Amino acid sequence: MTSMCEATTRALPGAAVIELAGEVDGSAAAVLTAAYERAVTASADPADLGTVVLDFAAVDYINSTGIALIVSVLARARAERRKVVASGLSAHYREIFDITRLSDFIELFPDLDGAVSQLGTA
Amino acid sequence: MTQVTRPTPERLDAFTVPSQPGNERLALARVAGTVQGRGLSDARLERLKTAVAEATMNAIEHGNGNRPEIPVEVEVTRSGHDITVAISDQGGETHPGHGDQEEPDLLKKLDGDQSPRGWGLFLIRNMVDAMDVTTDGQRHTIWLTMRTTGAAHDEHV
Repeated sequence: MTSMCEATTRALPGAAVIELAGEVDGSAAAVLTAAYERAVTASADPADLGTVVLDFAAVDYINSTGIALIVSVLARARAERRKVVASGLSAHYREIFDITRLSDFIELFPDLDGAVSQLGTA
Repeated sequence: MTQVTRPTPERLDAFTVPSQPGNERLALARVAGTVQGRGLSDARLERLKTAVAEATMNAIEHGNGNRPEIPVEVEVTRSGHDITVAISDQGGETHPGHGDQEEPDLLKKLDGDQSPRGWGLFLIRNMVDAMDVTTDGQRHTIWLTMRTTGAAHDEHV
Protein backbone atom coordinates (compact mmCIF):
# COMPACT_ATOMS: atom_id res chain seq x y z
CA MET A 1 0.00 0.00 0.00
CA THR A 2 1.41 3.40 -0.96
CA SER A 3 2.04 5.61 2.02
CA MET A 4 0.06 8.83 2.23
CA CYS A 5 2.35 10.03 4.98
CA GLU A 6 5.29 12.39 4.57
CA ALA A 7 7.82 13.39 7.17
CA THR A 8 10.41 16.14 7.24
CA THR A 9 13.07 16.28 9.91
CA ARG A 10 15.13 19.14 11.26
CA ALA A 11 17.67 19.32 14.01
CA LEU A 12 17.65 21.82 16.85
CA PRO A 13 20.12 22.06 19.71
CA GLY A 14 19.46 18.95 21.79
CA ALA A 15 16.27 18.14 19.95
CA ALA A 16 14.82 17.06 16.63
CA VAL A 17 11.53 17.98 15.01
CA ILE A 18 9.64 15.49 12.84
CA GLU A 19 6.89 17.26 10.92
CA LEU A 20 4.32 14.75 9.67
CA ALA A 21 1.80 15.33 6.92
CA GLY A 22 -1.04 13.26 5.49
CA GLU A 23 -2.21 10.00 7.01
CA VAL A 24 -0.62 8.17 9.93
CA ASP A 25 -1.76 4.61 9.35
CA GLY A 26 -0.12 1.25 8.73
CA SER A 27 1.42 2.46 5.50
CA ALA A 28 3.35 5.12 7.42
CA ALA A 29 5.59 2.64 9.27
CA ALA A 30 8.63 3.00 7.00
CA VAL A 31 8.21 6.78 6.78
CA LEU A 32 8.05 7.22 10.54
CA THR A 33 10.92 4.85 11.25
CA ALA A 34 13.12 6.54 8.65
CA ALA A 35 12.22 9.97 10.02
CA TYR A 36 13.24 8.93 13.51
CA GLU A 37 16.54 7.55 12.17
CA ARG A 38 17.18 10.81 10.33
CA ALA A 39 16.36 12.78 13.46
CA VAL A 40 18.99 10.85 15.40
CA THR A 41 21.68 10.92 12.72
CA ALA A 42 21.09 14.60 11.88
CA SER A 43 21.86 15.62 15.43
CA ALA A 44 25.26 17.18 16.00
CA ASP A 45 25.65 14.74 18.87
CA PRO A 46 23.07 11.91 18.86
CA ALA A 47 23.92 11.16 22.47
CA ASP A 48 22.80 14.69 23.30
CA LEU A 49 19.46 14.39 21.51
CA GLY A 50 17.09 14.72 24.45
CA THR A 51 13.74 15.50 22.88
CA VAL A 52 11.91 14.41 19.75
CA VAL A 53 9.05 16.67 18.70
CA LEU A 54 6.31 15.05 16.60
CA ASP A 55 4.28 17.70 14.82
CA PHE A 56 0.85 16.59 13.59
CA ALA A 57 -0.42 19.95 12.32
CA ALA A 58 -0.63 18.70 8.72
CA VAL A 59 -1.97 15.23 9.62
CA ASP A 60 -5.61 14.67 8.76
CA TYR A 61 -6.03 11.01 9.72
CA ILE A 62 -4.62 8.72 12.41
CA ASN A 63 -5.96 5.21 12.86
CA SER A 64 -5.31 2.44 15.37
CA THR A 65 -2.31 1.18 13.41
CA GLY A 66 -0.95 4.71 13.39
CA ILE A 67 -1.39 4.82 17.16
CA ALA A 68 0.64 1.59 17.31
CA LEU A 69 3.41 3.25 15.28
CA ILE A 70 3.46 6.21 17.66
CA VAL A 71 3.66 3.75 20.58
CA SER A 72 6.66 2.11 18.89
CA VAL A 73 8.41 5.46 18.42
CA LEU A 74 7.73 6.35 22.05
CA ALA A 75 9.01 2.96 23.25
CA ARG A 76 12.23 3.38 21.29
CA ALA A 77 12.72 6.95 22.48
CA ARG A 78 12.18 5.94 26.10
CA ALA A 79 14.66 3.10 25.73
CA GLU A 80 17.16 5.65 24.40
CA ARG A 81 16.29 8.05 27.25
CA ARG A 82 14.71 10.61 24.98
CA LYS A 83 11.55 12.57 25.65
CA VAL A 84 8.80 12.74 23.05
CA VAL A 85 6.46 15.72 22.78
CA ALA A 86 3.70 16.33 20.26
CA SER A 87 2.15 19.41 18.72
CA GLY A 88 -0.59 20.34 16.32
CA LEU A 89 -3.06 17.57 17.16
CA SER A 90 -6.71 18.33 16.48
CA ALA A 91 -9.13 18.21 19.40
CA HIS A 92 -10.31 14.78 18.23
CA TYR A 93 -6.84 13.27 18.19
CA ARG A 94 -5.93 14.93 21.49
CA GLU A 95 -8.91 13.07 22.92
CA ILE A 96 -7.58 9.83 21.43
CA PHE A 97 -4.15 10.52 22.95
CA ASP A 98 -5.95 10.96 26.29
CA ILE A 99 -8.05 7.80 25.93
CA THR A 100 -5.05 5.68 24.99
CA ARG A 101 -2.97 7.36 27.77
CA LEU A 102 -0.37 8.44 25.23
CA SER A 103 -0.74 11.93 26.70
CA ASP A 104 0.55 10.54 30.03
CA PHE A 105 3.89 9.94 28.32
CA ILE A 106 3.89 12.54 25.52
CA GLU A 107 3.44 16.17 26.48
CA LEU A 108 1.02 17.86 24.10
CA PHE A 109 1.35 21.40 22.77
CA PRO A 110 -1.21 23.25 20.67
CA ASP A 111 1.37 24.16 18.04
CA LEU A 112 4.98 23.58 17.02
CA ASP A 113 6.15 27.02 18.20
CA GLY A 114 4.85 26.21 21.68
CA ALA A 115 6.59 22.85 21.69
CA VAL A 116 9.90 24.26 20.47
CA SER A 117 9.83 27.22 22.83
CA GLN A 118 9.79 24.94 25.87
CA LEU A 119 12.88 23.05 24.74
CA GLY A 120 15.68 23.62 27.17
CA THR A 121 13.31 24.87 29.84
CA ALA A 122 12.38 21.40 31.16
CA MET B 1 -50.45 -2.17 30.19
CA THR B 2 -49.13 0.70 28.12
CA GLN B 3 -47.79 -0.32 24.78
CA VAL B 4 -44.52 1.28 23.76
CA THR B 5 -44.25 1.86 20.06
CA ARG B 6 -40.72 1.86 18.80
CA PRO B 7 -40.10 3.81 15.62
CA THR B 8 -39.26 1.74 12.57
CA PRO B 9 -35.63 2.32 11.62
CA GLU B 10 -35.27 4.56 8.61
CA ARG B 11 -32.54 3.47 6.23
CA LEU B 12 -30.38 6.46 5.37
CA ASP B 13 -27.83 4.67 3.20
CA ALA B 14 -26.50 1.23 2.31
CA PHE B 15 -23.38 0.46 0.32
CA THR B 16 -20.47 -1.93 0.02
CA VAL B 17 -16.71 -1.50 -0.25
CA PRO B 18 -14.25 -4.10 -1.58
CA SER B 19 -12.11 -5.71 1.12
CA GLN B 20 -8.88 -3.88 0.33
CA PRO B 21 -6.74 -2.10 2.93
CA GLY B 22 -7.40 1.61 2.82
CA ASN B 23 -11.04 1.32 1.79
CA GLU B 24 -12.08 2.18 5.34
CA ARG B 25 -11.49 5.77 4.24
CA LEU B 26 -14.23 5.37 1.62
CA ALA B 27 -16.63 4.06 4.24
CA LEU B 28 -15.97 6.80 6.76
CA ALA B 29 -16.29 9.55 4.15
CA ARG B 30 -19.59 8.22 2.89
CA VAL B 31 -21.04 7.68 6.37
CA ALA B 32 -19.92 11.18 7.37
CA GLY B 33 -21.68 12.64 4.36
CA THR B 34 -24.83 10.69 5.19
CA VAL B 35 -25.12 11.67 8.86
CA GLN B 36 -23.84 15.24 8.60
CA GLY B 37 -26.54 17.69 9.60
CA ARG B 38 -28.57 15.03 11.42
CA GLY B 39 -27.91 16.20 14.99
CA LEU B 40 -24.37 15.11 15.75
CA SER B 41 -21.92 17.81 16.83
CA ASP B 42 -18.65 18.05 14.93
CA ALA B 43 -16.79 16.33 17.78
CA ARG B 44 -19.24 13.43 17.92
CA LEU B 45 -19.19 13.10 14.16
CA GLU B 46 -15.39 12.76 14.36
CA ARG B 47 -15.82 9.98 16.92
CA LEU B 48 -18.29 8.15 14.72
CA LYS B 49 -15.92 8.49 11.76
CA THR B 50 -13.08 6.95 13.75
CA ALA B 51 -15.33 4.09 14.93
CA VAL B 52 -16.57 3.42 11.39
CA ALA B 53 -13.02 3.42 10.03
CA GLU B 54 -11.78 1.01 12.70
CA ALA B 55 -14.75 -1.34 12.34
CA THR B 56 -14.39 -1.35 8.55
CA MET B 57 -10.65 -2.05 8.88
CA ASN B 58 -11.44 -5.02 11.11
CA ALA B 59 -14.04 -6.27 8.62
CA ILE B 60 -11.64 -5.93 5.69
CA GLU B 61 -8.66 -7.51 7.42
CA HIS B 62 -10.02 -9.96 9.99
CA GLY B 63 -13.48 -10.68 8.62
CA ASN B 64 -12.87 -10.93 4.90
CA GLY B 65 -9.14 -11.61 4.91
CA ASN B 66 -8.27 -8.69 2.59
CA ARG B 67 -10.07 -10.46 -0.30
CA PRO B 68 -11.43 -7.68 -2.54
CA GLU B 69 -14.07 -9.96 -4.06
CA ILE B 70 -15.81 -10.22 -0.67
CA PRO B 71 -17.47 -6.88 0.05
CA VAL B 72 -17.86 -5.20 3.41
CA GLU B 73 -21.49 -4.12 3.76
CA VAL B 74 -22.34 -0.85 5.46
CA GLU B 75 -25.85 0.27 6.40
CA VAL B 76 -26.79 3.54 8.11
CA THR B 77 -30.15 3.80 9.84
CA ARG B 78 -31.92 6.26 12.09
CA SER B 79 -34.42 5.24 14.76
CA GLY B 80 -35.75 8.01 16.94
CA HIS B 81 -32.69 9.83 18.28
CA ASP B 82 -30.32 6.98 17.45
CA ILE B 83 -28.11 6.79 14.39
CA THR B 84 -26.76 3.29 13.86
CA VAL B 85 -24.07 2.13 11.46
CA ALA B 86 -24.00 -1.64 10.82
CA ILE B 87 -20.81 -3.01 9.27
CA SER B 88 -20.92 -6.63 8.09
CA ASP B 89 -18.33 -9.09 6.86
CA GLN B 90 -18.13 -12.84 6.35
CA GLY B 91 -15.90 -13.65 9.31
CA GLY B 92 -18.51 -15.78 11.08
CA GLU B 93 -18.17 -17.08 14.63
CA THR B 94 -14.43 -17.34 14.39
CA HIS B 95 -14.03 -13.63 13.70
CA PRO B 96 -10.77 -12.75 15.39
CA GLY B 97 -11.60 -9.06 15.40
CA HIS B 98 -13.49 -9.31 18.66
CA GLY B 99 -13.78 -11.51 21.69
CA ASP B 100 -11.47 -12.03 24.61
CA GLN B 101 -8.77 -9.70 23.49
CA GLU B 102 -6.51 -8.37 26.19
CA GLU B 103 -7.33 -4.76 27.04
CA PRO B 104 -4.60 -2.52 25.64
CA ASP B 105 -2.21 -1.37 28.33
CA LEU B 106 0.16 1.35 27.20
CA LEU B 107 2.76 0.72 29.87
CA LYS B 108 2.90 -2.97 28.92
CA LYS B 109 3.26 -1.98 25.29
CA LEU B 110 6.09 0.43 26.10
CA ASP B 111 7.84 -2.26 28.15
CA GLY B 112 7.47 -4.80 25.33
CA ASP B 113 5.07 -6.99 27.31
CA GLN B 114 2.20 -6.40 24.86
CA SER B 115 2.13 -5.79 21.12
CA PRO B 116 2.03 -2.08 20.17
CA ARG B 117 -1.09 -2.93 18.15
CA GLY B 118 -4.54 -3.95 19.39
CA TRP B 119 -6.19 -0.52 19.73
CA GLY B 120 -9.02 -0.96 17.23
CA LEU B 121 -11.87 -2.32 19.35
CA PHE B 122 -10.73 -0.22 22.30
CA LEU B 123 -11.08 2.91 20.20
CA ILE B 124 -14.46 1.84 18.82
CA ARG B 125 -15.87 1.21 22.31
CA ASN B 126 -14.68 4.60 23.49
CA MET B 127 -15.92 6.52 20.46
CA VAL B 128 -19.59 5.48 20.28
CA ASP B 129 -22.51 5.47 22.71
CA ALA B 130 -23.25 1.79 22.13
CA MET B 131 -21.55 -1.09 20.36
CA ASP B 132 -22.97 -4.52 19.68
CA VAL B 133 -21.76 -7.53 17.73
CA THR B 134 -23.96 -10.20 16.14
CA THR B 135 -23.21 -13.29 14.11
CA ASP B 136 -25.61 -15.09 11.78
CA GLY B 137 -23.85 -17.98 10.12
CA GLN B 138 -20.87 -16.49 8.35
CA ARG B 139 -22.30 -12.99 8.54
CA HIS B 140 -20.62 -10.98 11.29
CA THR B 141 -21.96 -7.50 12.04
CA ILE B 142 -20.80 -4.75 14.35
CA TRP B 143 -23.44 -2.17 15.27
CA LEU B 144 -22.30 1.33 16.19
CA THR B 145 -24.87 3.66 17.70
CA MET B 146 -24.68 7.37 18.42
CA ARG B 147 -27.50 9.26 20.09
CA THR B 148 -28.21 12.65 18.65
CA THR B 149 -29.41 14.10 21.97
CA GLY B 150 -28.43 13.66 25.63
CA ALA B 151 -25.51 11.41 24.81
CA ALA B 152 -23.34 9.98 27.56
CA HIS B 153 -20.14 10.58 25.65
CA ASP B 154 -20.76 14.24 24.91
CA GLU B 155 -17.95 16.73 24.62
CA HIS B 156 -15.47 16.80 27.41
CA VAL B 157 -12.42 18.03 25.58
